[in-house]
Amino acid sequence: MTQMSPHVEDVLGTVDRGLWRRVARHGSRYRKFGLSMMIGGILIAIVESLLPLMSGLLIDAAIDKNVVQITWYSVVYAVLSIGFCILVWCFIIAAGRLATGMAHDMRRASFVRLQELEFAYFDKQPAGWIVSRLTSDCRKVASLMPWFLLDLCWGATFLLFSSIAMLAIDWVLGLCVMAVVPLLVVVTIFFERRLLKSSRLMRKTNSELTAVYNEGITGVRTTKSLTRECENIEEFESVSQSMRDYSMLNAVQTSIFVPIVTSVGGIGVGIALSVGGLQIEEGYGLTIGMLIAFMQYAVLFAMPVRELAARLSDLKGAQAAAERIEGLLEREPEIHDSEEVRHRIEVAAAGNQSGVADDGGDPRIKTIDFKDVSFWYKPAEPVLNHFDLSITPGETIALVGPTGGGKTTIASLLCRFYEPCEGGIYLNGVEYRKRSLHWLQSSLGIVLQEPHLFSGTVASNIAYSSPAASQEKIEEAARTVEAHDFIMQLKDGYGTEVGEGGGRLSVGQRQLIALARAIIADPQVFVMDEATSSVDTETEHHIQRGIEAVLSQRIAVVIAHRLSTVRSADRILVIEGGRIVEQGSHKALLEAGGAYMALYRQHFAG
Amino acid sequence: MMREPRIYAVAIGAMVVSSLFLYLMPLVPQVIIDGVLLPSEGGPTEFEDFLLSLMGGVDFLRGNLWWPAVLILLLSAAAGLFAYFRGVYAAKATERIIQRMRNDLYRRLQRVPLNFIDRSETGDLIQRCTSDVDTVRIFLSAQVVEMGRAVAMLIVPLPIMLLVSPLMTLASVVLLPFIVLFAVFYFKRIRSTFLRVDEAEADLTSKIQENVMGIRVVRAFAQQAQETGSFDHRNATHRDLDNKLYRVLAWFWSTSDLMCMAQKLIVLGVGLWLLFTSQLEAGAFFFFLTAVGMFVWPIRQMGRILAELGKAQVALGRIQYVLGQSEETDGESGLVLDAASLSGSIVFRNVTFSHAESAPVLLDVSFEIPGGSTIALVGPSGCGKSTIINLLMRFYQPDEGKIHLDGIDLSSIDRTSLRSNLSVVLQEPFLYSRSLLDNLAMGRSSAGEVEIVEAASIAAIHDSIMGFDDGYSTVVGERGMTLSGGQRQRMSIARALLRDPAVLVLDDALSAVDTNTERAILSALQQRHHRHTTIIVAHRLTTVMQADEIFVLDKGRIIDRGSHHELLKREGLYQRLWEIQHEGMDAITELGGGDLS
Repeated sequence: MTQMSPHVEDVLGTVDRGLWRRVARHGSRYRKFGLSMMIGGILIAIVESLLPLMSGLLIDAAIDKNVVQITWYSVVYAVLSIGFCILVWCFIIAAGRLATGMAHDMRRASFVRLQELEFAYFDKQPAGWIVSRLTSDCRKVASLMPWFLLDLCWGATFLLFSSIAMLAIDWVLGLCVMAVVPLLVVVTIFFERRLLKSSRLMRKTNSELTAVYNEGITGVRTTKSLTRECENIEEFESVSQSMRDYSMLNAVQTSIFVPIVTSVGGIGVGIALSVGGLQIEEGYGLTIGMLIAFMQYAVLFAMPVRELAARLSDLKGAQAAAERIEGLLEREPEIHDSEEVRHRIEVAAAGNQSGVADDGGDPRIKTIDFKDVSFWYKPAEPVLNHFDLSITPGETIALVGPTGGGKTTIASLLCRFYEPCEGGIYLNGVEYRKRSLHWLQSSLGIVLQEPHLFSGTVASNIAYSSPAASQEKIEEAARTVEAHDFIMQLKDGYGTEVGEGGGRLSVGQRQLIALARAIIADPQVFVMDEATSSVDTETEHHIQRGIEAVLSQRIAVVIAHRLSTVRSADRILVIEGGRIVEQGSHKALLEAGGAYMALYRQHFAG
Repeated sequence: MMREPRIYAVAIGAMVVSSLFLYLMPLVPQVIIDGVLLPSEGGPTEFEDFLLSLMGGVDFLRGNLWWPAVLILLLSAAAGLFAYFRGVYAAKATERIIQRMRNDLYRRLQRVPLNFIDRSETGDLIQRCTSDVDTVRIFLSAQVVEMGRAVAMLIVPLPIMLLVSPLMTLASVVLLPFIVLFAVFYFKRIRSTFLRVDEAEADLTSKIQENVMGIRVVRAFAQQAQETGSFDHRNATHRDLDNKLYRVLAWFWSTSDLMCMAQKLIVLGVGLWLLFTSQLEAGAFFFFLTAVGMFVWPIRQMGRILAELGKAQVALGRIQYVLGQSEETDGESGLVLDAASLSGSIVFRNVTFSHAESAPVLLDVSFEIPGGSTIALVGPSGCGKSTIINLLMRFYQPDEGKIHLDGIDLSSIDRTSLRSNLSVVLQEPFLYSRSLLDNLAMGRSSAGEVEIVEAASIAAIHDSIMGFDDGYSTVVGERGMTLSGGQRQRMSIARALLRDPAVLVLDDALSAVDTNTERAILSALQQRHHRHTTIIVAHRLTTVMQADEIFVLDKGRIIDRGSHHELLKREGLYQRLWEIQHEGMDAITELGGGDLS
């Protein structure tokens, strides 16, 4: 609890107006609904502040038995009531348009931004964290907007008009009742702060609770193996105890706060009764009806103060969410097309030429050259060090070597998932940052070690890059990687749902589908990072020939632990410490008896 | 300590008292106006006379109008005090019930048989434990009290209202049944709209989730535009449905507001008429007007809550479903093993097992493993290797046949005792989101630093840990994601070693570890040979070749067994696998690459 206090204190600070102005820009398309909310708030406040006056006038008219006045006031009262209901209808509709529209636009902008951000962003943030930015944060910020606008205008207008009404009826009495306001403000601020703090603690503990449940369920096998049930239960109970404590704290605060505000309203009523009563007794000034109206004002006066305070603390409560969304939207993607490339893409799109890439350049990739490429996450620990590599047309390159040697980095750089920190990568002699990112990535067939599938059927996953692909083409791709047989054994064949992330299939099966998915896209260059590491030995053996056929005639960069996979490559590079320590064909390398030979023997010697 | 129903009773009592005070408040100005300020022609009623005398009599009040003001303040303070009791006691009872519910749920989930978890979706279980519990909580803490408040606000003033004017009383409640019924029926009818918004939101969320999880694939196939398109579609659907919900709610609130206003207008109209015909006094009129204003809004809320009762019921049912699962140890009282004297010998006798209604995964399997030996299980995916481990751990029960550990039938051994003497390292091990040291110490909480470092060294993870900025205090991220697959596997091997179990099982636990490291781990384990029985499950045959005996499994049966050399000599699956994995071997031999076996 002590460690989260500074964070909570931050939130309790002032409302960051610059931030909210930036947030409000997302609502600019819905400005007219925002304006209607504000006007609606003002109108409702006027109606509401007139109602007590009307009832007072009515009572006086009744006491005087003035039939004309009674009828007249009754009609006005009824019309105001109906007007009030119509306004309620209008502003809920407007609030809906504003809140849902803003949430929609903010989500869309965030989603589009996610499609552009570099992988380093996704490496740093857990997926669940990113998802909540687009779901709960957007909802929270957007649904707050209309009510904030409404209550701001409503509260201010209501305070203004009921003050005027009270002062007009009797300014001395009016000032007496209004003397309560400062007290009300102090009490409200005092409690709203505490409520905000305890509800934040509640929310925080609640997400902790969810995390513990999640661990308890997903880690159940490990828990049972370690016979840790009792310890886990004890730990859970301490979290659920603090959840109960914070909930109680919040309940106690609310239970004190609300009655105090009501009691403060009672002070106003008391003042009105004793001072106003005295005037009536002594026979001057106030009428009975006006006294009754006055007492109603005294009660209602507390309302806008509370509402305004509540909206302000909503705003403070949602400030963290707003900051997170703005943080995401304002983040510039590190890897993107340069101004010049974007310009060329526009020109090419206008020119509508065929046989060129989308940036108007050569659509074919004939050669790939890494020239003096260095890469690091932290400057002190370079992953690649002045790395050079030339790949000739149609060549299959295999990268082998120990974990952490830099193999995956080479593949990621080639795919432009990351960019070199120094040096450059040249396609047909042109530095790839001078070419279109979309063209490059759609020319590559990339198969990763962790084969993520999307929920949907086996067929829709294979046809991910070309949804229009025919069933024959899908089956052909599946046959190439020997996946057809196991797919046919699934309950619904190609129509089988793979589950979230492909969870209903084994890792090996997912890898085969991911491979078929890359093959059907018919890319110019293949990049495979441990693409078959979890496929069982016999199956891997069977798919070798199919893959070789696919890879011939194209440039391919293959990373593998299993040496049996890399043997057929045109050139094998042994990568260690970010450098090529040895290269050549399988046979040549074995004859050389160097690093590759050592790897090979290790592999078989057990 | 009080029981919850009694606490609720206290809360409800406090609520009734509090609303009594709330109603006495407007009564004070009423009698002051009618009795003191504007005495009616017929003189005060008996009831008013009684109240006036309570306050010190008309004559006293005439000169001391500050006294009723103080009285109002006192009354509102008293009402506030009891409202405080109501809030606190209701929260106390609710939070106790909810805490117990949460604890029971967690405890049950820790103790249900594994196949219940395997059958269920994690997200669904978590929803039952969190949002369903929250629904019940809101129902108990807010909605029950809110309904009680509505009833109390209506019941408490009734006697006074009837005493003052029966006709006005009737006028004050005439629309209430309609207000409640309208809310109940309206919300029943629009329930489907709520459901559809929820579904659209779930759909949108899973789209975003999938995109983020699969962002590498999206980029790899340059499908950003297509992804954005399908996201747009869901985003717009959600917006439109959400908008519809607002529209539907706009009709509800404005209509029910109109009904509440109409109720007040009726009171106003009837009151004015009575006032006009001198059947009612101004003060009494004010009292009725205030009373209607006080109970009409809670009554409207009540209608909505009544309509949502079903939600709490459904949530409770979903919670009960989890709590109703039997625990795996239900009705068992097993033998506690003596760890020191365990030899670790294992016997499977004619064991058959199948998952519900599908073909058997294991078919009549029998074998015996002498204590302290190292055996290996190999075979293609789905041959039944992992099932043997699951049966041994008693995650599942065999359909037929018996399993013995040290000659004792597994089903007669206490589950906890059994599992604390067996250590399994899984292919996808789970690390808890706390420090590496804590994760290791979970193997044995009494383990000292020296032992932990020793185990970490054997599992070849010590150096990697020391390479992290925070060393052993590094906290594992979301599901251990900050560690690589191989590091996680090595962590869990170290954790298992710390337990110093009679039987150590490596269930494909080295698959993500590179050959070099694997060799180091295996030879370190070799040195601890005979300290425990070791079972190794693996795809790579080089991993298992040192084992005392290797079982070759295929389609749920043991089709061959023997040492590496024996198996290699026989024609069969093992030989075939070896050849596939070692094609090109000849090249080395030809080149004089040396003695490989």
